[in-house]
Amino acid sequence: MRSTLSIIVAATLLAGCIGGKGTGTNSTPAAPTPNTLAVIVDSGPAAAAGQINHAYVTVHVCVPGSTTQCTDVDHVLLDTGSWGLRLVRSVLAAGAVALSAETDAQGQAIQECFHLGGGDTWGPVALADVTLAGEVAAKLPVQIMDDSPGVTPPSTCGGNGLLLNDVSGFGANGLLGVGVFAEDCGDACVNASPPMEIYYGCTAAGVCTAENVARSAQVANPVAKFAADNNGFIVNMPSLQNANGDATVQGELIFGLGTQTDNALPAMGLTVLGADPATGDFNATYNGGTTVLPALIDSGTDDYAFDDPSILPCTDPPPFAGISFVGYYCPAVAPQTAFAVNTGVGVNNATNTVQFAIADPHTFVANAAAVINLAGGGGSIRFTYGMPFFYGRKVYFGIEQKVSGTYTGPFYAY
Amino acid sequence: MIGRSIKFFLLLFALGMNPLCVEPVRAALGGDAASVASDAGEMRGTVHAELLQGYDIHEITVVSGTRVREFLNRGGVVFAVTWSGPVAPDLQRLLGTNFAEYTRALTALKQSGLHKSLRVASSSLVVESGGHMRAYSGRAYLPALIPAGTAAADLR
Repeated sequence: MRSTLSIIVAATLLAGCIGGKGTGTNSTPAAPTPNTLAVIVDSGPAAAAGQINHAYVTVHVCVPGSTTQCTDVDHVLLDTGSWGLRLVRSVLAAGAVALSAETDAQGQAIQECFHLGGGDTWGPVALADVTLAGEVAAKLPVQIMDDSPGVTPPSTCGGNGLLLNDVSGFGANGLLGVGVFAEDCGDACVNASPPMEIYYGCTAAGVCTAENVARSAQVANPVAKFAADNNGFIVNMPSLQNANGDATVQGELIFGLGTQTDNALPAMGLTVLGADPATGDFNATYNGGTTVLPALIDSGTDDYAFDDPSILPCTDPPPFAGISFVGYYCPAVAPQTAFAVNTGVGVNNATNTVQFAIADPHTFVANAAAVINLAGGGGSIRFTYGMPFFYGRKVYFGIEQKVSGTYTGPFYAY
Repeated sequence: MIGRSIKFFLLLFALGMNPLCVEPVRAALGGDAASVASDAGEMRGTVHAELLQGYDIHEITVVSGTRVREFLNRGGVVFAVTWSGPVAPDLQRLLGTNFAEYTRALTALKQSGLHKSLRVASSSLVVESGGHMRAYSGRAYLPALIPAGTAAADLR
């Protein structure tokens, strides 16, 4: 009895010290909001197995205001190169969550044509309560990737390449865009004349017309909409165990920069690259070249993507029937080393050299989902640091117009 | 025969295309100067022409800020198209009859959809398309039609 009492007294005193008030009363601080979400690189959702370098998270989605009409959507692709959450309709339906399309001033359903590198997604914009770790983005505008049978986008959507609305075509159950912008389109979709062919108002009969949408109604980066820990985030991935590929890799997505004990910006040794506030890109040159390329640190791209006519492109099949690496580099002598020099835009104009290696993907471990020496032909127009860049690094992302220590977003740091 | 035409019309309607509104076929890449004007009209843009030694450049600037440049060789054929701006271009329009080959090549690329930039190339067609919302850019060209003395790097 006496020992129990001493423990209570000791605990009370300790609590007083932690609270910093020294009053001796019960002033235990509120527990910090859990701000770490698990990230896994694996072969993908069952309907699209065989993915390489796809980093996935699980997203908790609820009908706004409900605590029962909720579902956990796994295998949502973590994409630091886009902005906003997009979920495949049939996956939401399997979780018994039906989200209603937002409507414009004329009562028409708002739908979006979202352009990715090799194609477009199409579907309505709806509000959802989205929880990532302990962080909540309430009434967040999200896009529903409409894989319902018979859905046809307007003729002005899909002209960018392929239509990417279903799990097998997309390689994921959705896309979590958490880059350096707060909304996907921004001011360009607010008052353009004629409106950009991105957001549409659609009649009940399915006639869709491009229209402007206020920023508050655009598909948005959930991190920017959190009540706290909303100035940026960190992607923290371990090094690979095997240089030729690991079956799975686990890392974490940490919300906030300098807001909790686990997300401090290091005072020393950090390269901070300011991004162009209009495009989100910084600048890079490849292998000593003079052409300045817009560059992005993009977990949604699976490789280092750039143009180098001196490296052999993969040509298959045969003899590699069934495992196509068309589009990647297959250097004759591997690993081939290369480098790029990054320069930030604006006041955070640091310069930093990144070295990396490229191997023939046919030499990777069979069924490896995470590989580091992967590069592909990205064309002569951009340089993209895809997933291989993240392994063994902590990469920091500062969201536009938000302050993190002495830095203001948009910026990238590592 | 008439029945087949009606079916074709119904098919176009089903695909969301009103056959009564379809304009004459115009193809940018592989097309002629008239196709540039047609593209400019459809994109509601203004055209600026620049005459160089080996080829001409017709530049279309759209209100959104997107810039499309169409390169015509001395035979009057569009042998290259480049673009940059905040909105992804309608490649179906810009590539014209080459769009089918482009989408076939895309399908062959592993995980093409999510790449922020990609390149598809054959002996007859090269397409480099990249970017992300707010910043798209790219170019497409027909290698066989590039005028002598012009390097692919000049096509910007």
